[in-house]
Amino acid sequence: MSDAVDEIIQDVAGGGEVRNHLGLIAAMTREFTATRDADVMAKTGLERIMKYVGAEAASLFLIDDNGKELVCSACAGPVDITGLRIPSDAGIVGRVYNDRSGQMVRDVSKDADFGAMVDEQTGFTTKSILCAPLSLGDDCLGCIEIINKKSGDGLFGSDDLTLLETLAGAATLAIHNFRLTQQLVTQERERHELELAAQIQRQLLPPAGGPEFPIHGINMAARSVSGDFYDILPLSDGRIWFNVGDVSGKGMNAALLMAKTSSLFRCLAKATENPGRLFDAINSELCETGTHGMFVTMAGGLFDPSTGKILMANAGHEPPLLLDGYGEQFTFFEAEAPPLGIMAGIAGPEGYPSQEIDLAGGSFYIFTDGLTEATTFGGGMLGIDGARALIREHAGESPDLQLNSITGAVRLPGQSLRDDLTMVVIQDSGSSDKKPSGAPVPESDDAVSGQILRIRVPAKADRLKVVRAGTEQAAAFCGADELWTVDLVMAVDEACQNVIRHAYNGWDEPGDIVVDFIREGSSLIVHLMDFAEPVDQSKIKSRDLDEVRPGGLGVHLIKSVTDEAIFVEPPTGVGNLFKLTKRL
Amino acid sequence: MALEITEKDGATVVALSGDVDLQTSPAVRQGLLECLETHDKVVVDMSQVNYLDSSGVASLVEAFQVSRKKGSFFALVHVSAAAMRVLSLARLDKVFSIHESTEDALAANE
Repeated sequence: MSDAVDEIIQDVAGGGEVRNHLGLIAAMTREFTATRDADVMAKTGLERIMKYVGAEAASLFLIDDNGKELVCSACAGPVDITGLRIPSDAGIVGRVYNDRSGQMVRDVSKDADFGAMVDEQTGFTTKSILCAPLSLGDDCLGCIEIINKKSGDGLFGSDDLTLLETLAGAATLAIHNFRLTQQLVTQERERHELELAAQIQRQLLPPAGGPEFPIHGINMAARSVSGDFYDILPLSDGRIWFNVGDVSGKGMNAALLMAKTSSLFRCLAKATENPGRLFDAINSELCETGTHGMFVTMAGGLFDPSTGKILMANAGHEPPLLLDGYGEQFTFFEAEAPPLGIMAGIAGPEGYPSQEIDLAGGSFYIFTDGLTEATTFGGGMLGIDGARALIREHAGESPDLQLNSITGAVRLPGQSLRDDLTMVVIQDSGSSDKKPSGAPVPESDDAVSGQILRIRVPAKADRLKVVRAGTEQAAAFCGADELWTVDLVMAVDEACQNVIRHAYNGWDEPGDIVVDFIREGSSLIVHLMDFAEPVDQSKIKSRDLDEVRPGGLGVHLIKSVTDEAIFVEPPTGVGNLFKLTKRL
Repeated sequence: MALEITEKDGATVVALSGDVDLQTSPAVRQGLLECLETHDKVVVDMSQVNYLDSSGVASLVEAFQVSRKKGSFFALVHVSAAAMRVLSLARLDKVFSIHESTEDALAANE
């Protein structure tokens, strides 16, 4: 501890008058607030107080977590009672703790509350006690007790009590401070771990297919880690495995079970063609290794684009919906077996049943209750009717955009989701002899609508010229003239700059930007996607051009030369997706 | 992006060539500001500028503001159509002193 305190103490110990109260208090308070080690602080602090007041012994009692006992967490003097526990209403200490006021018992032989039990154990003889509470607002952390004045008649005086109470105040703040810091550190570590887990989870999600791929999914976590998942696994013959799963429970446990189940599905799906058998295998495996009371609902199976048929199993999952090819009639498919992970053999001797469903040109929707339980703009729950209405409303859009629209409708700005939301849509093109497109980004000969180009670059300034060159080519591909092209290049370049400057701001190694050029009828659509934290859209504003200031005019330029420039929900639920539309 | 500084008719001509974008505009900003420290008549020749983005505009604006503070002369010449497009969208075409050539710019200054 510091010289200042030492000096004052030496002065007193050497017989000097107890004059420098304020000096001591100030010096000790400074030390208290600077210390990192609570135990050392408590012990040395007590020793100082003991020497300064001129007492034989001192102890610090703190109330334990259940509030019933006071525990000695530090002491000074000839007897070590560290760890001693007494009921919180016992003895002088208990009295001071409950009364929340400092007390001096000049002569314990005259105080009925004094319990000699500690003396009996330690062999020490208590004559005189000073005790002050560690008060923090309405609460009390414990007490400091000083025993037996060394000088004179061995009895304390009121000056001593005043000093002790003041020092106790400083000690209280120090202890409180220390505990708060510990709490913060723990919280920060937990938050960090959740973030890491969330990153890993995101990597478990399948890559998005192009606009013509028949199955698309979206996953939005209510907190950083999700208990929901979906997967899409194309086979080499064009058929595609798909699933949507929902783990009961929240937080890290649910996320871990989700990762396990998702991996099991992926691995076992490569070894079987029957969804029911697949579910049996997953269920056995989950039950064998145990789920600690959690379970997983899942709807999943195989889709064959060449026939437009699904073979599916449903383990306790929210019934998927089939919307017919005309966008009118809904059919739903109740689960015929319980969730996975509860008990081996729970689906009966036949195992999990598989069901064949002919999409017949329609669309199939699987979702978790994060959708039906989501809050709408009106404030109520969406419900299954609301979900159907939303689906019907957007049924004409391409599958990936449908998911954006539907989830966008329940993702209210400024509000977090009630529950993880996951959704998969399977769209049958209707012509069952169409060649299946197994690859996620199919080529298209169609000059009127379709993907033109995809550029994926790290979000670095030196890549901007590459993106500009690609933009020029995409514009040329659509037959645009020079002026139109110059404007588009500017818009795309400025949008990329925003990703570099803002989305990935602070990253050691920036992530990628993905730029898709898509021809849609008489417009060219540009999707700019990044994988950083979603940007706060309320903070993006064009600058008022009446102020002549450097910087910040990118958004204005973008909006000036495009017909539409908006953020839409990214298909993987991660990062940002900025959509530019420019009519040709 | 290259920056070439020459003297012409008593003015300092800073010729930029190539793309002025997020990657290269810091060098432009630096070059112009340094120039303005020691010269009081600066003309930016943009004839070889293929591309100008918002960060490039910001560099020009900053140089413009410094020149105003110092009472120096600052003008842009041979501004290409693409660069003019950006400047007019940003409504800065009437703010900068823009001319067809260095001679015109210096003549306008007198």
